[in-house]
Amino acid sequence: MRVFVSFFLVLFSITAAAQTPPTIRFGRGFAAEEQMWLMSVRKDLTPNQGKAYNLNQILFQANPERFQAYLAGELDGGTAPGLAVIFAHAQGVDMKIVASICLEAAGQGIFTTQYMVKDDGPIKSVKDLKGGTIAVVGIKTATDLWARAGLINAGLVPDKDTKVVPMGFPVIGDAVRTGKVSAGVFVEPFYSAEMAKGGLRKLFTATEVLGYDHELLDIFFSEKFLKANPGAVRAFLADYVAVTKYYLANMEQAKTDLHKAGFVRTPLPVYLKTSDWKRDPNGRVDVGSLEKLSKFMLEKLNWLEKPVNVREMVDLSYLPR
Amino acid sequence: MKRLAPLLLVAAILLAWEAIARSGLWNPLIFPSLEKISRELVLFFTRPESLLEAWISLQRAFAGFALATLVGVTIGMLMGRSAWIAALLDPLFSGTYAVPKLALFPIFIFVFGIGSLSKVALVFLECLYPIVIVTSQGARGVSRVLLWSAANMGASRAAALRRVVVPAAAPFIFAGLRIALPIALIVVIITEMVSSADGLGYLVIYSLSSLRTDRMLAVVVVIAALGWLLDRALVALRDRLVYWEKLETYYL
Repeated sequence: MRVFVSFFLVLFSITAAAQTPPTIRFGRGFAAEEQMWLMSVRKDLTPNQGKAYNLNQILFQANPERFQAYLAGELDGGTAPGLAVIFAHAQGVDMKIVASICLEAAGQGIFTTQYMVKDDGPIKSVKDLKGGTIAVVGIKTATDLWARAGLINAGLVPDKDTKVVPMGFPVIGDAVRTGKVSAGVFVEPFYSAEMAKGGLRKLFTATEVLGYDHELLDIFFSEKFLKANPGAVRAFLADYVAVTKYYLANMEQAKTDLHKAGFVRTPLPVYLKTSDWKRDPNGRVDVGSLEKLSKFMLEKLNWLEKPVNVREMVDLSYLPR
Repeated sequence: MKRLAPLLLVAAILLAWEAIARSGLWNPLIFPSLEKISRELVLFFTRPESLLEAWISLQRAFAGFALATLVGVTIGMLMGRSAWIAALLDPLFSGTYAVPKLALFPIFIFVFGIGSLSKVALVFLECLYPIVIVTSQGARGVSRVLLWSAANMGASRAAALRRVVVPAAAPFIFAGLRIALPIALIVVIITEMVSSADGLGYLVIYSLSSLRTDRMLAVVVVIAALGWLLDRALVALRDRLVYWEKLETYYL
């Protein structure tokens, strides 16, 4: 009798385990990832969630910490700036970009990262930054890359002619106004808040200095996880694309839901007014722009020691056809 | 054998590290081998710009530490020898000792700018506390017998301070300095990691951002070596100035 009971118990647990969908341990950030957050806030928009996969989103304040957790095997995937994945790939990290979250792009109603100076200050062009300081949000981040691109375009040598220093987004506005730094980087919602205060003027934008639209944030997974759970990733990306389309079509409602769920702390009226980054409704990645970025990182910035095969680090086959 | 003991401990730690690095249990990007770290260490010492970064950090640490020594020893001596000043300042120092002054760094940037001054000011503030508190304890604990003897021999208050109080408090002053010196180095590195375009802290964050843990650890080794050398230099100075009470004598 005991043997039979044990046999059925083991059989039951094996069957139950086989029916439990894999949990995706997903490292997320705190800006520009609205579609990803909406997947946790509006599960009614993600029919595959709970059936083909479970989603556990874990918040990280910065890329290095997220990548360390990923390297330590604590994450299966996450969001990351395209250039951070280029860095990781250059170091041989097992990481594949499978979808795009947003792009840095120019266009009507689309936000592109701004670099601003004091309105009544002496800096009229980028060349005037010689001997000055430009505030970015972190070393070797996209904001650092655009700042350096702007300086190089103006014939200045970053670090030598103009210092590039990291600073938190919330304090950059006052740092520029008080002359502690000559220029600073602004993204939403800080951009709108600072523009409302006044006293600042645009010097250049991220798309102006590079001259082309390019990937800002992407979704990555480990190749190991992709091979072990192709069905779960396909189901996850099908939901992701559906949520992206919903978000683009119902932005006000989506933003309200995110705000209510505590994913965004900016006052709701300000958040609703802010313009959004460009998002591909199908989550397709602009691979060409990543290639241009990696070339720029290698040739102009010396951020890479050798060329990176960008096509090798992108796999769009998991996206819905 | 006594001299070899610390080396054996360091060797054991290095061996354990290498074993972990070679085990394959952890990603080599998180646990690089000693060979990789050593290679980066050699590169560090052969690049003049790396040495310049170290010099920048040391200058900041020394400036804040020196200022804290000057102000801290003076305040500590006054608090130790004057009940009125102690009553005035003790609540301030004991009440704010536990405040993480690093949290004030953004304010320091606004007041002193993003360059070296804000970092030096924070080093000064962080180092001031241990120096003041330990010095005041030393100055307060000077034996009354010694002070009475000096007075009986006709010493003025200034002479008693110079010839009795300061020498008697000297071991405490150096104890405070020994606590403050590594704090100076730590604060400089952290502030450079938070907001700087130069210094060893900048090199740490730059390497981390490129996922170059081997390079980052090489900088950490340099920081550790600098800390050790500075501590040895301070102990040597202490043993030279406080020759009647060398540190080793405590174990006899």
